[in-house]
Amino acid sequence: MNLSCLFNPGSIALVGASHSEHKLGGVVLRNLLRLKRRIRILPVNPKFPSLMGTKAYPSIDEIQGRIDLAIIIRPAPEVQVILEGLAGRTSCALVVSAGFAEAGQAGLQNAIRNAAREGGIRLMGPNCMGVYNSATGLDTFILPPDRLPRPNAGGIAIVTQSGAVLSLLFEGMTKTDMGVSITAHYGNAADIDESDIYEYLENDPGTEAVISYLESVRDGRRFMKRAKALSEKKPLIILKAGKGAAGQAAAFSHTGRLAGAYEVFHSILTQYGICEAYDFEDLMDGALALSTQGKGRAEDRRKAKETGRKKQKKQKRQKTSKGNRVLVLTNGGGAGVLASDECMRQGLTQPAIPSSNLDSLRKKFPPFYGLGNPFDLTAQGSGKDYLTVLEELGESYDGFVIIALSAVTGITPALAGILEDFKKRADRPVVLHTGQDEVGKELVRAARKAGIPSFATPERTVRALEKLLSW
Amino acid sequence: MRSIDGPQPMEHESKRLLSGLGLPVPKGVFIKKTEKKISKEEVLFKTGGIGFPLAVKTVCPAIRSKSEAGGVRLRIETSREIVDAVRKLMEIEGSRGVLVEQMVEGGTEAIVGGLIDAQFGPVVMFGLGGIFTEVFRDVSFALAPTSPKEAQRLISRIKGQSVLQGVRGRLPVDFKTLGAAIVTVSRLMATGLIQEIDLNPLSLFPRGAFVLDAKIFVLPAEHFVLPDEHVRPGITGYI
Repeated sequence: MNLSCLFNPGSIALVGASHSEHKLGGVVLRNLLRLKRRIRILPVNPKFPSLMGTKAYPSIDEIQGRIDLAIIIRPAPEVQVILEGLAGRTSCALVVSAGFAEAGQAGLQNAIRNAAREGGIRLMGPNCMGVYNSATGLDTFILPPDRLPRPNAGGIAIVTQSGAVLSLLFEGMTKTDMGVSITAHYGNAADIDESDIYEYLENDPGTEAVISYLESVRDGRRFMKRAKALSEKKPLIILKAGKGAAGQAAAFSHTGRLAGAYEVFHSILTQYGICEAYDFEDLMDGALALSTQGKGRAEDRRKAKETGRKKQKKQKRQKTSKGNRVLVLTNGGGAGVLASDECMRQGLTQPAIPSSNLDSLRKKFPPFYGLGNPFDLTAQGSGKDYLTVLEELGESYDGFVIIALSAVTGITPALAGILEDFKKRADRPVVLHTGQDEVGKELVRAARKAGIPSFATPERTVRALEKLLSW
Repeated sequence: MRSIDGPQPMEHESKRLLSGLGLPVPKGVFIKKTEKKISKEEVLFKTGGIGFPLAVKTVCPAIRSKSEAGGVRLRIETSREIVDAVRKLMEIEGSRGVLVEQMVEGGTEAIVGGLIDAQFGPVVMFGLGGIFTEVFRDVSFALAPTSPKEAQRLISRIKGQSVLQGVRGRLPVDFKTLGAAIVTVSRLMATGLIQEIDLNPLSLFPRGAFVLDAKIFVLPAEHFVLPDEHVRPGITGYI
């Protein structure tokens, strides 16, 4: 079933709306009243005829017509009755309230699930913050924007089981200037879960890449099917938390004792070629790397559409076609070695410089440059030298790690232009590690615009390239 | 969640099932325990077709580790030894009988298993045997059933993969047979009738492989009943 009632509703009832922004029902109402697009907002509150200048309804029974989305912020024991009252005329209900399965009240959760099902209502939550859609401004979060600033509009969708991780992601994305499309925190997942949301995001035009935080999935088979389908259309990175769970304690067999929940999860993600982040930082870096590539792809899709080659849009991407042959091009020996170490850990190879190129490169460079892989331009390397190497070797490798320590005079922001031109020509992933000084910062900004992500350590830079190559 | 109350197949029954599914098991025979002490002639008659060297194992549902309980005799070369071993192992408390098999040595030990995962349902597992699984937990899983191609990918995902390719002058193992074993176990798991299964060890050779020990835990359900203990009498075992 289509979840546009959840992500793009035309009418929203807010059961438990409040006049005060010190109450959750007031925070959400204030968010809804900020909406850019015209959406019917229907606050429900028995005490006030209007809230924040908007007509309020004393009860849900007073609301006429169909409700696309009903947001419920009322104590857990009341929710079932509210859902029964919404039955038959509501497409989707978002239960923000806590106090269900997460608090040991599985019975209450079953009751609201059944009530929603019988009433023909899709249910998001309970115990969740719901949805943020940057395209429309739809924002059901109980955290006020002045306390948790929303990131800019962009191409990354977030699907998370945890609200705390969501706020960490928002902070991180704001800091690194990444943009979100749709964000969904689905909480206890009594009905709508990660798989439903993946399915929606497959065809969401604003979403170019998806990052997802999971602790568990209810139906692993369905999850794999949807994750696979989504990742065939858009990059998907999953961070699975709770890795430490031991083997199934009561197991009879050797196999059972070896089968920790995470081991199985990890294996099956690998089996299906789904990209997995190792930890939070890895998830953020992966998101940054993919977000810088997204624009180009969206443009490609637009162009394809314009020229009428719609088939291209449907084409499944080839995961392994990008290869794993990496050139590390550096102006600092140690940073290059650290990058090489990480290449090895990530299963990336660093083939030597082809002998056919070696002679011509030798003629162009002083004898103390290290013509290996890492290719070491030393502290004397200049932007021009980077250009020379990339022109010579651009066809010989699948991905490029550029290390440009910016404390030396040879490195200027102009390097970004060189890298940009190269990336356009070669159409292969390029990642950058540079310094934190002013030149470095400028380089980072300029490179980012050119679709080249930068990271603060050589290892993180390589991991980001691995994600770009494996997508 | 985990209650085993159905009849759990014993080693020879598990092997018979696996053999019926096309998995290679050592040539062998099950000798059922009887009230009367088994005669020398009967032992030799029943085991005579296998050929020395032999391995003798107690079949005793009550004990978990046969070797720790002294229930295994290996590399038996003479008639006298085999009669003695069969009689001794019959005496182990709770023993239902003994399994006499051809002695298989020198292979690369692997483990192929399956279980019902709480989130993913039936899955199949592959790992190298012994220290690789015990200490390093170097195993990998895949959804069951798997295709032969997927089975090869599962094999390639373990860290100790190079051991299978042949190290220190050893020949590579028979990947085709190993893959077939994984596919068969995965199909068995996909029936949904098996709770857990271990082929441990599966002994791998440059050509072929043998399931040296197998444990199958049937789901507590009536509809999957293995043939009972009445193994075909005779000397051919279940090959």
